[in-house]
Amino acid sequence: MTENPEQEYAADESTDDPTTDDMLVETDVSESVAASGPTMSANTVVRAENINVWYNDEQALQDISLEIPENQVTAMIGPSGCGKSTFLRCINRMNDLIDAARVEGDLYLRGKNVYDDDVDPVALRRRVGMVFQSPNPFPKSIYDNVAYGLKIQNKKGDYDEIVEESLKRAALWDEVSDRLDESGLELSGGQQQRLCIARAIAPDPEVILMDEPASALDPVATSQIEDLISELAEEYTVVIVTHNMQQAARISNKTAVFLTGGELVEFDDTEKIFENPESQRVEDYITGKFG
Amino acid sequence: MATQQEQIEGFGHVSRTIGTVFRYVLLAATLFGIVALTILLIYVANDAIQPLTADPGWHLTFFLTLVVPTLLVGGYLLRTDPASFRFGATVVGLLAVSTMFAGGAAMIFVDIVPPVVWFGYVVALGLALGGVVGIERLDRRLPFLARFVGAGAVIVAALGIVPGAIQSLPVYPTDGIMLTLSLGAPVAVVVGRYAAAEAGRRWTALAMLVALAAVGAGEVLGPLLAIGAVPATVLLAVAVVPTAGYAVGHTRRFPARRSGLALTAAVLGGALVGAAAVDALGFAGPQSWVDWQFLTSAHSGTAAEAGLYPAIGGSILLMVTVAALSFPLGVGAAVYLEEYAPDNRFTRFIDVNISNLAGVPSVVYGLLGLGVFVTYLGQPTGTVLIGGATLALLILPIVIISAREALRSVPDSMRQASYGMGATRWQTIKNVVLPRAFPGILTGTILALGRAIGETAPLIMIGAPNVLFSLPTSLSSKVSAMPLQVYAWASLFASEPFYQAAVPAGVVVLLIVLLSMNSIAIVLRNKYQTDQ
Amino acid sequence: MSTDDLQRDLTQRTENAPQELLTRSFFFLCAVLSIVTTVSIILMLTTEAAKFFSVTAPLMGVEGPTASAVDFLTGTEWVINNEQFGVLPLVSATLAITIGSAVVALPLGVATAIYLSEYASPRAQRVLKPALEVLAGVPTVVYGFFAVVYITPALRTIIPGLGTFNMLSASIVVGIMIIPMVASISEDAMSAVPDSLRQAGYGMGATKFDVSVGIVVPASLSGIFSSFILALSRAIGETMAVTVAAGTQANLINPLNPADYLEGALPMTAAMVNLLTGDITGGGIAYRSLFAIGLTLFVITLIMNVISDLVAQRYREEY
Repeated sequence: MTENPEQEYAADESTDDPTTDDMLVETDVSESVAASGPTMSANTVVRAENINVWYNDEQALQDISLEIPENQVTAMIGPSGCGKSTFLRCINRMNDLIDAARVEGDLYLRGKNVYDDDVDPVALRRRVGMVFQSPNPFPKSIYDNVAYGLKIQNKKGDYDEIVEESLKRAALWDEVSDRLDESGLELSGGQQQRLCIARAIAPDPEVILMDEPASALDPVATSQIEDLISELAEEYTVVIVTHNMQQAARISNKTAVFLTGGELVEFDDTEKIFENPESQRVEDYITGKFG
Repeated sequence: MATQQEQIEGFGHVSRTIGTVFRYVLLAATLFGIVALTILLIYVANDAIQPLTADPGWHLTFFLTLVVPTLLVGGYLLRTDPASFRFGATVVGLLAVSTMFAGGAAMIFVDIVPPVVWFGYVVALGLALGGVVGIERLDRRLPFLARFVGAGAVIVAALGIVPGAIQSLPVYPTDGIMLTLSLGAPVAVVVGRYAAAEAGRRWTALAMLVALAAVGAGEVLGPLLAIGAVPATVLLAVAVVPTAGYAVGHTRRFPARRSGLALTAAVLGGALVGAAAVDALGFAGPQSWVDWQFLTSAHSGTAAEAGLYPAIGGSILLMVTVAALSFPLGVGAAVYLEEYAPDNRFTRFIDVNISNLAGVPSVVYGLLGLGVFVTYLGQPTGTVLIGGATLALLILPIVIISAREALRSVPDSMRQASYGMGATRWQTIKNVVLPRAFPGILTGTILALGRAIGETAPLIMIGAPNVLFSLPTSLSSKVSAMPLQVYAWASLFASEPFYQAAVPAGVVVLLIVLLSMNSIAIVLRNKYQTDQ
Repeated sequence: MSTDDLQRDLTQRTENAPQELLTRSFFFLCAVLSIVTTVSIILMLTTEAAKFFSVTAPLMGVEGPTASAVDFLTGTEWVINNEQFGVLPLVSATLAITIGSAVVALPLGVATAIYLSEYASPRAQRVLKPALEVLAGVPTVVYGFFAVVYITPALRTIIPGLGTFNMLSASIVVGIMIIPMVASISEDAMSAVPDSLRQAGYGMGATKFDVSVGIVVPASLSGIFSSFILALSRAIGETMAVTVAAGTQANLINPLNPADYLEGALPMTAAMVNLLTGDITGGGIAYRSLFAIGLTLFVITLIMNVISDLVAQRYREEY
């Protein structure tokens, strides 16, 4: 394939164009789950190959293979308990911290298999940012929260500048620039989550993982976070797990649908998933017949 | 055209040296106190028991008859069937601890409370309880106040009249039989209920009969084994029958664990065979300072002849008094604070008060006893009653705090279920909350009593005598206690012989008692937590 | 059932039924007993101590020998037979024990707490926690005995000038005694730190060391501090271990000078015990000095306990 249709889609984020034959042709070309091969299109930041995860004897993820493209928002949706968060945690090997979890398969971050024997998970996690469901700022000052990643990595540079830049990118600078010494816990829920985002992007990660980042927030804060995520995709690659389908439809470029048993049923451009999915099960899920 | 992609060779490595060093430093710090204490314990045990003074043949005999079989059987069981191992070990532990308590109880019945007096009170209590139950049956026809007063009258009358009446009988059964009935009967009831729980209702009667008969055998066995009817009966009632009952009941329920008894047999059998062997072969045992003479003699100016007997008796009586005082009052306060108290300033004031009292030095409690009980109320110094009351006040905050935690651990949903059915608060507490919290309360009380047994300063403050030559016999007798006696030897009688002989021996006996109580509490707590 | 019965059943006030009132009153009285105890302690200490001091003795209608409050608080000699009642030597000795045991127990206790809460496996915890409880359960007399008979001779091999009764051995055993207190309260505080904070740290590539020292410990600082105060309050009130191990000479020592720890001294609690075993007749000035010291001790430990409560409450971080 010589042309790179995905890039066109990346350029104009939410296309409102009606389906055309062109799109049909192009979606043929876009990689779907079953047809994944070794060649990569666009800039793929994360590539999963046959990831399987068990919690004790129960299988949580079945043979997941997908590619996450650069500078886009990739959403993972599906009913609860279908392994979305588990997959997310495979990317930065946070599942290693769970005794009962067993991971098999390969996962490449910028071409390096993170499950190789010579990979230090701690070093890996310094290159990947993570934002959790409930905001969890440290009981430290706002400044110290954002600078935390820099501090533990002993990064050189002007911390003041990096903190300011991160807070600006997290759309929080205007609100806290005059009180960087205050505790992060003094902020409201939405502000705390933006602080956690600033904290995650300060060390300049390869990819930002977000596990239902807005589910604990009120609607106003939620929409602020959603706007923020869309902006972040200009600089960073974002992978977001959400159980809110409308949210995924609003902000993501590509969507992966996980269904019961940890099965990745379909992975495609968001448009395609929501308007004309290949799989009947996905269509049933989208239209609310279950889940 | 495929765009250029950044490829990563690797993610780098983060040094873990600081972390690993840190972890080992932490472990060392954690183990510091424990290891230090273990070394000190070994030292004092060595000084008291003097194992190295025994013949090598003695060591060898016991090694062959006791140590080797135990290690073999134990190791095998541990590897193949840990549950059986735990069961066997529990039986051995139970036997050891209960024998110790049996010794204490025997001391009480031999020297402090004549069996006939005890028998009288037990009969009186039985009659009183029967009367109260009978009155309660008249629920419908009499109002509460009348029933309450009636029950109170029955109890007072029974306890007042019956013991005296029994003691003035011209003829009454022998000590052994009386103890069988008064001590063995409650034990038999407990064994019967345990049998019912483990093996089914129909075993209750049989288990009770067998237990009672076994205890009764003490009357005959005692003189036969030259230890006297009373000690034999007590030993059977407190140590042998409960342990056997537990062993039989548990095997009934978990037949697979029967192999655990092999461990018990190895330990017990090995000890008995070893003892017989060293006797026959004429090997001298260690010249231990902790021996029968030490445990049964009173204080003496000569270190080698000094003994702990009155102090042990004193400690037992004090503990009974302390338990009788602090348990109801402490649990009562905890029940009020957890179940009744509204969330207002007064309640919080009581809360703060109790936690402050828990931090007051024990010496100040001694002053309290001295100032209030002795000086203000004019009581004689150093009696069982005053000592027990002072110690009870000392551990009361601890009992309250741990009872509150036990009550708090009862899930609120259970209370809600009871209230939802229209039960009153007292009914809920009595039927739902207390039974469920009981093991936790018991554990906390045992630990608090363990603390009280080791306390010396309050007793000094209220004027307990430094040396006591005879056992205390009533609430108003002067009392000593084990730690107090040891302190007296270590300070007032401080001299080389005492520091060599009496003091280490006293320390070891005190520590054995304390460690037993701690172990019971820990085992109880573990069982309670796994049951929940 | 007739409606009359229903009416009666529904409106009966079971809350005030005799059983309920009876049980409620009983439990209430039990709880009130604690207040009675505190009030008694305060009353008795203050009245008896009042009889001791010259300024207040006339108020209590006491004639006879008394001591000046100023002399008590500033005097540097404590010799009963000479009627010298300066409390400073006693306070200095108590202070020395407190500092000495703090040096032992605070670092070891916090380290133990970190290990138990962040590093130890559940199996290790099940063994270590009861073992620590045993440490706390050994009678204090036994600790004093250990100090004199085993620790002092052992220390003498490296410090030849060590007296038979010395503050160093006493401080060490008191320190060992209070390690479990620091460890268990600090560990409770650390376990209360929500796991989401640790996850945030790990997610950023922090090592276990970073998370334990950089996140968990700072977050539980108030609980740790509170445990320090409580444990030190216990060290101040510790009686028998120091009575046996620290000696009977009321020397005025400098708690900040390590060399002073090599001699014996007389902490406040030991002084009280000595007063009583010294066979004094009740009612004399020596008897009343007991209460003066007791009052000082009570006030100190009370203040420390109140501070510890306040610290734990006011600075408890909200998560």
